[in-house]
Amino acid sequence: MTTLILILGVGLSLVGLLICIRLWLMSASQLNSKVGAMGVKVGAAIGLGVLPLLAIGVANYQTFEGVKEVSSCAGCHVMSPMVNDMVNKQSRSLAARHYNNRWIASQQCYNCHSDYGLSGTMKSKGDGFRHLARYVSSTYKEPIEFNRSGGFYDNNNCLKCHALTEKFQAVSSHSTLREHLASSESSCLNCHGPAHPTALQRTPGSKSYEALMQPPVLEASR
Amino acid sequence: MGENESGSKLDRREFLMGLAAIGGVGVLGAGSWGVLEAMVPQAKAASWHKSVCRFCGNGCGVMVGMREQKVVAIRGDFEATNKGFICVKGSLLSSLNTAGYGGNGSGRALKPKIRREDGQLVEASWEEAMGLVAEKFTNAIKTKGKNAVAFYGSGQLLTEETYTANKLFKGGIGTNNVDGNPRLCMASAAVGYTQVFGKDEPAGCYEDLDKAEVFFITGANMAVAHQPSFERMKLTRKANPNSRIIVVDPRRCETAEAADIHLHIRPGYDLMLLNSMAYVIIKDKLVDKAFVAQHCKFARMVPQLDAEGKPLLDEKGQPLPPKEDNSLSLEEYGALLEDYAPEKVAERIGISPYQIREVAHLFAKSNGTVSCWTMGINQSSRGTASNNMLSALHLLTGQICKPGATPLSMTGQPNACGGVRDCGALSHLLPHGRLAANPKHREEVEEIWGLPKGTIAPGPGKHTIAMYRAMETSEIECLLVMCTNPAQSLPAGERYRRAMEKGFMVVAEAFEDSETAKLAKVILPAALWIEKEGVMGQTERRYQLIEKLLEPPGEARSDLQILVDLAERLEGAGVIPAGLIKSKVPKEVWDEVRKMSAKSVYNYEGMTWERMQKEHGIQWPCPTESHPGTARRYMKGDPMMSNPDLDIEFYGQPDKKAKIWFRPWVNLPQEPSEKYPIILTTGRILEQWHTGTMTQRIKELDEASGPATIEINIQDAHERNISEGQMVTIESQFGKVQGKAKLSTGPRKGVCFAAFYDPKVFVNAVVSDAFDPMSFEPEFKVTAVSMSLAEGSVSPRS
Repeated sequence: MTTLILILGVGLSLVGLLICIRLWLMSASQLNSKVGAMGVKVGAAIGLGVLPLLAIGVANYQTFEGVKEVSSCAGCHVMSPMVNDMVNKQSRSLAARHYNNRWIASQQCYNCHSDYGLSGTMKSKGDGFRHLARYVSSTYKEPIEFNRSGGFYDNNNCLKCHALTEKFQAVSSHSTLREHLASSESSCLNCHGPAHPTALQRTPGSKSYEALMQPPVLEASR
Repeated sequence: MGENESGSKLDRREFLMGLAAIGGVGVLGAGSWGVLEAMVPQAKAASWHKSVCRFCGNGCGVMVGMREQKVVAIRGDFEATNKGFICVKGSLLSSLNTAGYGGNGSGRALKPKIRREDGQLVEASWEEAMGLVAEKFTNAIKTKGKNAVAFYGSGQLLTEETYTANKLFKGGIGTNNVDGNPRLCMASAAVGYTQVFGKDEPAGCYEDLDKAEVFFITGANMAVAHQPSFERMKLTRKANPNSRIIVVDPRRCETAEAADIHLHIRPGYDLMLLNSMAYVIIKDKLVDKAFVAQHCKFARMVPQLDAEGKPLLDEKGQPLPPKEDNSLSLEEYGALLEDYAPEKVAERIGISPYQIREVAHLFAKSNGTVSCWTMGINQSSRGTASNNMLSALHLLTGQICKPGATPLSMTGQPNACGGVRDCGALSHLLPHGRLAANPKHREEVEEIWGLPKGTIAPGPGKHTIAMYRAMETSEIECLLVMCTNPAQSLPAGERYRRAMEKGFMVVAEAFEDSETAKLAKVILPAALWIEKEGVMGQTERRYQLIEKLLEPPGEARSDLQILVDLAERLEGAGVIPAGLIKSKVPKEVWDEVRKMSAKSVYNYEGMTWERMQKEHGIQWPCPTESHPGTARRYMKGDPMMSNPDLDIEFYGQPDKKAKIWFRPWVNLPQEPSEKYPIILTTGRILEQWHTGTMTQRIKELDEASGPATIEINIQDAHERNISEGQMVTIESQFGKVQGKAKLSTGPRKGVCFAAFYDPKVFVNAVVSDAFDPMSFEPEFKVTAVSMSLAEGSVSPRS
């Protein structure tokens, strides 16, 4: 789907560009003719108005949808440790177990890192933009730190899938900690282990840093 | 300016507008970024500090989030040995320091208190309280002798505190009456390791849980008592289809529920099972002969007989104690195990011969077997023997000294390994693997502590049960109890509560309403967890620092401050040598401890305070500041080996060979009888730790656990017309207790279970105080009891 959207967007942009070039190359006499004047108006409306708007819409859709893919996250060098660990079948991190066991079928990064509902989507887009800005401006320091919701990962991102399962409800500690889990005061990671390589593993100079920073290799189907 | 084909020019105005548009887009982008950065909410915690969980011996690293002098969040420390895993108790540590103080407003000891002659506790100043304590101790020492006083410590004190107490009593006062709750907990493991390897403490580490294939868990409900480690095991199990978790337990407990194989044995029959497994391993040729020949020797105890086979007698006409015999060959050792063939013993153990054989084969032939055990093995009159046999299984099969293969005793308390076992704060020990009975060891310690020869009393002092029995007879007059609750944790509890009331018992404790504090003559308010600083040592020989993050409430002081104060007063009274306790703050004491360790194979001199502040725990041996610590002992990489090129060396033994013991079955002190037909066994539950002094004050944990119950096999319940929730009475020859019945298929028929955290269900009043003849650890797990509906409790079916 996203590939089709991408082709459509590129096609629209090319058509708009061709119309603009054609208008640019029109001679004065062509411009002064009645047909030419009407053509310019229509062409300008399409080339400078309709098509760019369509292209922007398609581009936005492409951007909004495309960044949900793991490959998009993997595009930033600084995310390599998370992605490399996630696709590593030997890793026991939560991300790797969710990815390799296909507990989440697609868009694994986005699924865990976007809060529930429209505001959650907006928040994750805002965060994505912020991360991009920091990345391209090199205003970040390794190891990067999770810094949303008061430094706490929002447990509701786990609970939205797990809370209603029988398995979850059978664990007495979930009931003991229900208020703390709902407010994210207690982290799900306390009992279920780290989600990603630890800060120390992602620190330049650490033993595992070089391996984790290799460009991730993703399976085509994911 | 540019010129297009139609001849029109981009004038200055248009150019500037273009620039402005580009600038506008840039400003809009940067502005959006700025707004988004500003929208990132303030972190709940202003600062994060690495620390260690206050509860069990798993020794989990935690991160403490602080804001405005309050703990606002707790996280598992991903960089620590537990890899971020903590349990529900650890997750609620943020409530610990306010629980019972500012929380529900009761319980926390804030000022010293002295019991008046009319029995009332009244507030006192530190000067009054400590003056009284010093006076009573001095009088007892001067009038009745050094052994009229004693110290009963805890695996929950910081290392610096335990070390100082040990030095004060053994080196200063000159009594070896220093014991503590690790005697009730890990003494059998400590003695067991020493007998096999020459030195205490495990060879392996938690990382072995990630690399093992077979887990042999016996006498440990790890799913509730050491949950973070059990989670790691389960992950290993899931990742490897050949992996197996084997659980030996007379209850189908939470750990057994998660196991591949559960051996539902009769309580107390572990030793018989281990002997039978050893028999199968030898008979079915599963022995790693090369390993055994190179690194092991066999051992058994034999009576000393004359040429005619009669016992040799000492000068008092008593038979000489049995003597160690190391002359056995593998074949002779195997012959001793003939009586333990599965077909001969399976019925007594309560399982089938097939199960014994299956487990023995899995144990021996896996690509790595880790055994984990705790109180189910240790708290037994056969505790040391069972510990010996667990190590024997590993040695026979070569399942040791390689990643993923090790015997690994799980510790009950957070600093039992570090403070108590390493620092030698039990009545038979001296620091760093030395024994009070060994003259050379005493001399070494006297030299290090700068004491005249002969200062340290020869031979062991009183172990826990003997200590409280000596209070009963007033042989011990004064007892200092620190950071523990023996009035709830001792077996045959009512008897020893009376003994505590009889003597002059001083209790330094964070909570003044603990069962022990209620019996104290003086209560000294103590700092709790991050209200003080110091080092803790856990199961895998790892030391970790607890940083001070909070001021203690009221007038509470650290236990170290209390001990230093007492030492100064006793020094003033002339009952301890001047200048003995030179180190008075945690860092100074730690420096003294680690420098002392350098004169032993426990060497952790390289663990400087500065390193402990920076690093997330270090495992000893760690002889230098540049040494990274040692994950596994007795194998390549262990800096204590005599030759770094060797693959394996059991250097704790003089001949560098570990001992494979033969430990014959000894009948249980208590078997079911007509009067007491049920066996009571005790343990922990997930939400409560130890005697519940801390965890019962945390609202969420208290609500989750509720009052302790008596878990009864449904068949036993039906036979007695007992229904769920009815009050039942459990009675033994030692005492009785009442609690609500919880009907279950968990315990075997003829077995009931009760957790000991709840003071209102004082189950240790019923428990036997028989103890292991080698470790002196009491038999908590097997007590014959009667069980009936409590008076007034009417069965709906009656």
